[in-house]
Amino acid sequence: MNWLETPNMERLEHYLDLVAFRHELVSSNLANVDTPGYRTQDINFDDEMRRAQQRLDGASVSPHVEEVRGLIERPDGNNVSLDRETMALAQVQLQYRAGVELLRNELHLVLSAINEGK
Amino acid sequence: MNLFGVLDINASALTAERERAEVTASNLANAETTSTPGGGPYKKQLVVFETERPGREDFAQTLSRFGDLHARGVTVEKVVDDKSPPVRRYEPGHPDADADGYVSFPNINPAEEMVNLMGAAQAYQLNVSAVQATKAMISETLQILT
Repeated sequence: MNWLETPNMERLEHYLDLVAFRHELVSSNLANVDTPGYRTQDINFDDEMRRAQQRLDGASVSPHVEEVRGLIERPDGNNVSLDRETMALAQVQLQYRAGVELLRNELHLVLSAINEGK
Repeated sequence: MNLFGVLDINASALTAERERAEVTASNLANAETTSTPGGGPYKKQLVVFETERPGREDFAQTLSRFGDLHARGVTVEKVVDDKSPPVRRYEPGHPDADADGYVSFPNINPAEEMVNLMGAAQAYQLNVSAVQATKAMISETLQILT
């Protein structure tokens, strides 16, 4: 870590990475809403976040993707639920916005130090 | 994959759903078509969706994307003819009537096609929402430095 980075920045980076990754999975689920045999995919956000925090070397995240259980399956073997995915999409969007906003705050903190608080 | 790659995933769905809507519209338009260039009545067309396969790429490329392999777009794998037999109606005056006076009509149920069209429209709309969400996320990222 160099002096320009605060510890929170690293955490927020992991957070944004994970949120973007989840957004990718939700988008994939939405794209395959009519594909026979497609199974809904997601990550366990809390577990992955904990795992990312424990990793100290800052290596890139490779989250564990799992099939979501307990969804109603259609006769063609597809189990994408529109309600679930639209909710997830809204959630991911807000989480991302929150992460970006917090990261901006951190950067402005450093910037205000550079400007001697002026 | 980055956020721009996510745009591609949803764009693939937009293409696939539009093709599904086109095929459904063609089915509706040809619900009463009794003669085609290939002979016989129009056959109902069905689209078959498939999860996008990585195109022509070598092992190294596939390996380098290994972590991304779960998130995929969708493609129309093929458009097939419906197997169900045509509907025969007695219309002796019809130019396409057979020796017994029966005309073969395509086996198309307009209600079924309309439901299909609604499904395609809904899925299209949903993917447009996803594209908008991705766009918003990208522009938010650009705001970090301002």
